[in-house]
Amino acid sequence: MDIAKLFNAFPGAISQGIIWGIMAIGVYITFRILDVSDLTVDGSMATGGAVAAMLITAGYNAWFALLVAFLVGMLCGLVTGIFHTTMGIPAILAGILTQLALYSINLRIMDGKANTAVNVNKFHVLVTSRNVRVLSFSNPIVFSVLVTAVLILILCFFFRTEYGCALRATGANGAMARAQGINTNIAKVFGLMLANGIVAFAGALLAQYQGFADVQMARGAIVIGLAAVIIGEVVFGKLLHTFSGKLICVSLGAVIYYLVMQIVLWLGLNTNDLKMLTALVVAVFLAVPHWKSKAFSRMAAQKGVLEDA
Amino acid sequence: MKKIISLMLSLCLIVLGSVAFAENPTYHVGVLQLVQHVALDAATQGFCDALNEKLGDQVVIDVKNASGDSANCTTIANDFVASQVDLIMANATPALQATMAATADIPILGTSITDYATALDIDDWQGVTGFNISGTSDLAPLDGQANMLHELFPEAKTVGLLYCSAEPNSKYQVDEISKYLTELGYECRPYAFADSNDVASVTEAACECDVIYIPTDNTAASYTETIANVVDPAKKPVIAGEEGICTGCGVATLTISYYDLGYATGLMAYEVLANGADISTMAIEYAPNFTKKYQKERCEMLGLTIPEDYLAIE
Amino acid sequence: MLDINHIKKTFNPGTITEKRALTDVDLHLAEGDFVTIIGGNGAGKSTMLNAIAGVFPVDSGNIIIDGQDITRLPEYKRAAFLGRVFQDPMTGTAATMTIEDNLALAYRRGQHRSPWKRGITSNEKEMFREQLKRLGLGLEERMNARVGLLSGGQRQALTLLMATLQKPKLLLLDEHTAALDPKTASKVLHLTRELIRDSHLTAMMVTHNMKDALQYGNRIIMMHEGRIIVDVDRETKVSLRVEDLLNMFEHTSGSALDNDRMLLG
Repeated sequence: MDIAKLFNAFPGAISQGIIWGIMAIGVYITFRILDVSDLTVDGSMATGGAVAAMLITAGYNAWFALLVAFLVGMLCGLVTGIFHTTMGIPAILAGILTQLALYSINLRIMDGKANTAVNVNKFHVLVTSRNVRVLSFSNPIVFSVLVTAVLILILCFFFRTEYGCALRATGANGAMARAQGINTNIAKVFGLMLANGIVAFAGALLAQYQGFADVQMARGAIVIGLAAVIIGEVVFGKLLHTFSGKLICVSLGAVIYYLVMQIVLWLGLNTNDLKMLTALVVAVFLAVPHWKSKAFSRMAAQKGVLEDA
Repeated sequence: MKKIISLMLSLCLIVLGSVAFAENPTYHVGVLQLVQHVALDAATQGFCDALNEKLGDQVVIDVKNASGDSANCTTIANDFVASQVDLIMANATPALQATMAATADIPILGTSITDYATALDIDDWQGVTGFNISGTSDLAPLDGQANMLHELFPEAKTVGLLYCSAEPNSKYQVDEISKYLTELGYECRPYAFADSNDVASVTEAACECDVIYIPTDNTAASYTETIANVVDPAKKPVIAGEEGICTGCGVATLTISYYDLGYATGLMAYEVLANGADISTMAIEYAPNFTKKYQKERCEMLGLTIPEDYLAIE
Repeated sequence: MLDINHIKKTFNPGTITEKRALTDVDLHLAEGDFVTIIGGNGAGKSTMLNAIAGVFPVDSGNIIIDGQDITRLPEYKRAAFLGRVFQDPMTGTAATMTIEDNLALAYRRGQHRSPWKRGITSNEKEMFREQLKRLGLGLEERMNARVGLLSGGQRQALTLLMATLQKPKLLLLDEHTAALDPKTASKVLHLTRELIRDSHLTAMMVTHNMKDALQYGNRIIMMHEGRIIVDVDRETKVSLRVEDLLNMFEHTSGSALDNDRMLLG
C-alpha cells in the first residue's frame, strides 16, 4: 500500500464526488426542502445521461446537451408530480412508477440500445475523467466546482424569492402553506421538476465524465444522493447554517462518499464486498445524529441527577 | 534514545525490504470487471491464467469488480490510473468505456465486448482502434447459429428472439441474426424483457413462435431456470448463443469459450508488456474456435434427433 | 358578509366509521360580527370552520362570502378571504422557517408569488418589526430565529398576527388558546380582541371556555349534533351568565353538555 497512489487517486474521487454532489443537491431539494422521498432520480439521472450522449454523438454542442438534459429531467419530475398530486399516488410509489417507465423511455432515447459511448477522442466534452490530473482549466474539478457554485447561487436566489419561500413553506408545513393561499400541489410538482432537472443535468455531466451513458448508470443513485446529504449534514452541519452553506455541505458530502470509496479500493478490499461496505458507511452516518442525541440526553439526565442531589 | 534508534533502524529495514521485494514483479496489471457473472468470471480467469503462465512472478494482477454499478467502474478505473498500472484489462462494455475515459496513455485490453466500433463509437471501423485500446470480441458466429437453427428446425416458420433490453450487445446480436434468419425464410419476432421481473411473462409471449433464439445475454444467462420453467412445459425448443444459457434452458448452441477468449486476451497483454507491441495497431481478435453442442435431456424430452457432429454438454 | 346556506357533511359515508359531522348548518354573519361558538364533543364546531376554510368539500349547501360563492373553491384560493388560527400551535406556522419568513409568507396571502421578486423586502422587515412590538413578547428582536424555537403561546400570537397582517374578510379561530396555559391563553385572547377591534374584522371563535365565550364577541352560537341550536344576539348576550347558557343548552338539545374539556368558570 503506497500512500502516494492514494493521493494520486484523490483528484478522480473528488471530481466524481462533485458531479454526484450536483445530483445530491437535487435530492436535497425533494428530501429536505419539500419533505418528499423522490425515487424518480434513479431514472431521471440516466435520462439526463442518455439525452446528453445522444445529442453529443449527433454533433450538438455539449452545453446545449446539458440544457436539454435539464429540461427533459424537469419533464420526468412533472410526471412524478402529476402521479403524486392529481392521481393521489403516494410520493414514494409515484417516483418508483416514473423510474420504471423511464427505463423504457431511456432505451427509446438511445435508439433501443442499452449503452451509448461518448468517445472523448471524437467529441468535445465539458468534463472527462481523463483530465483529472491535468493542471489547467480542462480539469473536470475546475469545471464541476464552477458549475456547482453557479447552481448554488441560483438556488439561493430562487429559494429567497416569493415563490421560493412558498416552496419551502409547502415542505415545512403543508396545512400552513395552504392557509396562506399557496397551491401546495403546484408547489410540489414544481419542486419535483426543479430537483429532477438538476439530477438529469448531473447525469448529463456524468455521461461525459465517464465516457458513456447506460440505462443502468444511475441504479441506486438515490442511495448515493441521500448518503451525500446525510454525510454532509453530519460532518459539516455544525459549521454551516445558511442555506448556501447547507448546499455546500451536500456537495462536500458526495466528495467524502467517493473519497471513502477510493480509500476502500486502495486498501485492497475485495470489491465483491463493496456494496455491503457502502450500506455500512451510509448506515453509520445515518446513525450518528441518533447516537449524538442519545448521548446528549444521557448527559442531561446525569446532570439533572447531580442538580437534584 | 536507544529505543528511537532501534525503531528507526527497523523502519529502514522494512522500507529496504519492501523496495527489494517490489523490484521482483515488473508488471502491474489491473482487471476491471463489470459484474459477477459466469461468462465474465471465466474470461477474467483465462486472462489471469495466461499472464501467470507467461510471466509468473513478474506480474501482479489486481482484479476489481464493479458489482454491476457503472459508477463504480469510473472509481476503479481512477484507482488503476492513479496507481499507474502497466496495463488495464476491461471486462464488459461499460468497464471499457469508463477506462477509456480515464486514460489515454495506459494500454487497455477489452474482453467480452461484442462490437468495438459500437462500444467505443468509432466510425469507419478497420479492425484496429488507432489508440490505446485493443482486445478480444465475444461476437458469437451468428451466421453459424442461424444455420444451426435451420439445420435442426427446417420446418419452423417463426423464430422468437428473446433478450434483455438493458444489454448493449444483445440488441446488436438480435439485429444481426435477424438478417441471416430472414434470408433463410424465417419470420423473426423480437421479445425484449427489461429485468428479471418480466423474464417469465415475456418468455410466455415468445412461446407463440415455433423456435426461440436467445443471444449471448448476461441477464438471460442468470435466469435460465425461469425461462426453462416456461419453455419446457410449452415444449418450445431454444437455440442459445452460448453454452451457459443452453445448459439451463436450451437444446443446442454454437458456442465460444469465454475462458479461451480471456486466455487470448492474456496473450495479447503479454505481447504488449513483455514484447513492447504497439497496442494501437493490434487487431481485435475473435474467438479461435466454435463448438456445436446440445443439451441431451431436453432434446430427448422434445424428441429431437441431433446430428452426430454435436457434442453433448457435460 | 358570510352566508352559510344549509351545508351538510358526512365523513366516510356508507362505512362503519360513517360520521354525520354537519347535519344542516345555516348561519349568516354581518360585517363586523365577532361570534363565539360553543358546543359538546363532536358537535361540529371545528368541522364547520374547516368547511368554510375548504379543508374538505361539503356534500350540499353553499358558502358565500361578500356575495361570492366559494363553495367550489379549493382551500388555497379561499385563503385570500380568510385568516386562520388553529388549536395546535404547530399547525399555523412553518417551524423550520424564521419569524420574518413566516410573516412574509402571510403578508402575501392571496397574492401572486413571483419567482423573481424577493420573498421579503427591507421595508417589510421594518413593518413586521413594528407589528411584532404590538405583541409585547420581544419577538421583534428575534426576527431571524426559527419559529420552531418559540413557545406555544408565542407561536399562537405570531399566527394571530400572520392571520391579520393582510386584512381577512373573515377570521377563523379554532380553539386557538386550548393548548396554552391559562395565563398565556388570556394574554392571547386579549390580543385577539385588540386585533379584531383595531382592524374591524369579522371573526368566528370556537372555544371550550364558557366564560370566554360570554366575555368576548358580540354574538354567541351553540352547536349540537352537527347543527346550530342556539343563536344569541348582541342585546341578549350582554346580560347572559354561564348558568343561562347551560339551561338553554339542556332545554334545546334535551341533554346535558358533555364536553369533557368544557370550562364553566
